[in-house]
Amino acid sequence: MGPDLWQRVEALLPRVERPVRYIDSEWGARHVAQAEYRSVLLYPDTYEIGQANQGLAILYERLNSVPGHVAERAYVPWIDMATEMRSAGVPLFSLESCTPVSDFDLVGITLPYELTYTNVLEALDLAGIPLRAADRGEALPLVIGGGPCAYNPEPVAAFFDAILIGEGEEAVLDIALAHRAARDAGASRAEILECLAEIPGVYVPRLYRSAGGGGLAPSGPAPAVVTKRAISDLGAYRPPLCPIVPYMDVVHDRMTVEVLRGCTRGCRFCQAGMVYRPVRERTADDIVRDVLEGLACTGYEEASLTSLSTTDHSQLEEVLRRLTNRLEGSGVTISLPSLRVDAFSVSMARLASGGRKSGLTFAPEAGTQRLRDVINKNVSEEELLETVTRAFGAGWRRVKLYFMIGLPTETDEDVAAIGAMVARVQRAARDAVPAADRGSVRIGVSVSTFVPKAHTPFQWEGQVSLEEILRRQEVLRSAMPRKGVDLSWHDARVSFLEGMIARGGREVADVIEQAWRAGARFDAWSERFDLDLWKSAFESTGVDGATIAGRPYGQDEPLPWAHISSGVSERYLWLERERALAGTTTEDCSFGRCTGCDVCGDLGVDIVLGGEARGRG
Amino acid sequence: MAAGEFRLRVRYSKAGRARFLSHLEVMRTLERSARRARLPYAVTKGFNPRMKAAFGPALPVGTGGEREYYDVWLTQPLPAEEAVARLLASTPAELQVAEARYVHERQPSLTAAATVARYEVAVGGEGLSAELIERALVTVIGEGRLEVEHKGKTKVFDLARSLPEEVRVRSYGPPFIVEVTTRMGQEGSLRPDVLISEVLTRVPGGGAVVSVTRTDILTEEEGVLRRPL
Repeated sequence: MGPDLWQRVEALLPRVERPVRYIDSEWGARHVAQAEYRSVLLYPDTYEIGQANQGLAILYERLNSVPGHVAERAYVPWIDMATEMRSAGVPLFSLESCTPVSDFDLVGITLPYELTYTNVLEALDLAGIPLRAADRGEALPLVIGGGPCAYNPEPVAAFFDAILIGEGEEAVLDIALAHRAARDAGASRAEILECLAEIPGVYVPRLYRSAGGGGLAPSGPAPAVVTKRAISDLGAYRPPLCPIVPYMDVVHDRMTVEVLRGCTRGCRFCQAGMVYRPVRERTADDIVRDVLEGLACTGYEEASLTSLSTTDHSQLEEVLRRLTNRLEGSGVTISLPSLRVDAFSVSMARLASGGRKSGLTFAPEAGTQRLRDVINKNVSEEELLETVTRAFGAGWRRVKLYFMIGLPTETDEDVAAIGAMVARVQRAARDAVPAADRGSVRIGVSVSTFVPKAHTPFQWEGQVSLEEILRRQEVLRSAMPRKGVDLSWHDARVSFLEGMIARGGREVADVIEQAWRAGARFDAWSERFDLDLWKSAFESTGVDGATIAGRPYGQDEPLPWAHISSGVSERYLWLERERALAGTTTEDCSFGRCTGCDVCGDLGVDIVLGGEARGRG
Repeated sequence: MAAGEFRLRVRYSKAGRARFLSHLEVMRTLERSARRARLPYAVTKGFNPRMKAAFGPALPVGTGGEREYYDVWLTQPLPAEEAVARLLASTPAELQVAEARYVHERQPSLTAAATVARYEVAVGGEGLSAELIERALVTVIGEGRLEVEHKGKTKVFDLARSLPEEVRVRSYGPPFIVEVTTRMGQEGSLRPDVLISEVLTRVPGGGAVVSVTRTDILTEEEGVLRRPL
């Protein structure tokens, strides 16, 4: 291990693409020679996709802050490197100390997206760790999952010893410290897992068995429902201020400060909006301090104020004014990840962009007011047109609009209305610019396919079939203006596979393993995506994927994720579903009254705006 | 340059793991290290203001460099030693900064001025000897021209022009170190590994290039080679 293994890795690098993925030694990487407890955090994709992941950056920071503990990183080698590693007998290694991943105490794997699941298996296999938790011996590390996809853990439950539901700031140390103490006390693997199951938010799949009728029940003292972890005060945890600064041009290669967590706009299709509740803001003072400190430590040329809905921050204007004053003349810019559809957002974008007007992004999601009411997307066409007029009048020449098709209650009329709406947006944009500039007006339209997500009001809905989605795409195509619009689709076959995996239970693990054995990996990369391979994997394991994706559930039928709770009550989600079908909207509880989702009371957390808790919890 | 700007030339190395970086990655990393060092850098005018900096000729992925250079324009004449000390504390070890000096604004850019580069090419192989390599070198250079296939095009290098200094086998390895000096510029830059790979095809039993390091970048004035600092 260590230097010896590095020499063997280094010998492979001249033969592979982008060797920079494997060389460590970036600014900010932590190198600790001695530690009693070692964790490795793995992102199940290539270095450039995973390096900037904020969740893992936070855990890296937290785990490395404990005396005697060290956390390192690992990524999935691209296919050329994996082939070289297998033929040279080089196991999956951590970047910092170049130690085999199987030598660590804990392997933490984030689950960002269903189409990375085969990469989890690829990583475990390269590490020499048995794929199934049940097959792992005493000496092997605990493999612990977490992240967005943990809210339906069942498709990958068999591959994990434990899965953390919810936020990791506090829980990750609870897990590492409990594991270390149990290990030092000589506990067996089974005993260690029982002890982890007592930590709030930790799901230990092997302690749950089929309860008949599709549900799962604990076999021992484990909780019947595992409820997510949430921190009450985001301000108590500063964002990583000296994160690793990669050499490589990675996705999201900039300083990131999370300005608020959670979003209570209440879009009914949005899993993030349900599971990351409640809204907790950092204060303006903290944000300004952290952005400046982070820029000084990293040398980045850009800082991004991230969240699910940054323009909702109650002090955003103050934050932007203070930051742009402090950064004037430095060439360093502030960026906002996404914008609300209103005039305020355009003026915030003007403040943030430092004179650059690259492109604005808005998400009306649906083409008719009726359907926008169903999904609770509180955007009117008048607001959108006004916002576009204002943006193009202020100098922008490009706008990108996000829509979804396959939403519950959607008709061809709703789909075609997207095209008509885009045409009106285009007209408004052209009218707002000088005649000579009209040719440079570009409207980007990106259309994705709705996948009914766990823990949302639409979790009981089935996914619209692939054939029907392809038909609706044709309806949309013929309704879309021909000129000046760049139409792009999220591949409907990809969404179909997402639905077949994301809506499944434990039976899907066999399918994922079979797909990996047949060569599936990096499924999220369009050049690697192969639906036929997956279809044969479903067929050969006798699992009916189309039914998993397409079947609706009744209110009394157990959902595959019924033993996992985001804190938002099932009662509230069902109520929201009924309101959706009635076309009734629900207001944002951060600005209006409490809508009764039950998160604040049940989790001991509360809405925090501008440094003050609402006092409802 | 605008009035009140000071052109600081910085020398650094690209060694160890950093040799696997692309030129773009090296540039981005060094710009970020200059920001971390809080150098009072100037920014370019215009739509997308950036740090005003200019780098020497690119090194390919996998090739190290012992004496590489970039220029950065400052808005205050920070003492060069102070700039070096700050950069040392803020640059990854394998792109370490060695010295810095102010250069006159009228001097041509690094890419225009640097027309010659010295390399050390390490080669290895079964039964290879310094004598065999030298003999093959004499044969290839004696042919006077080298055809190189690059992206479907054939390029012909006049070796007498492309090799301004004698090619020598330095160490008695393995690995054997071949010192190659080549000319860079608009008429094409002969890559030392391409030349030596060709040489190794003429050696009985063959051999392979193990690593390439650029040891010097030089300017040429009336036949005299000089370092940029």
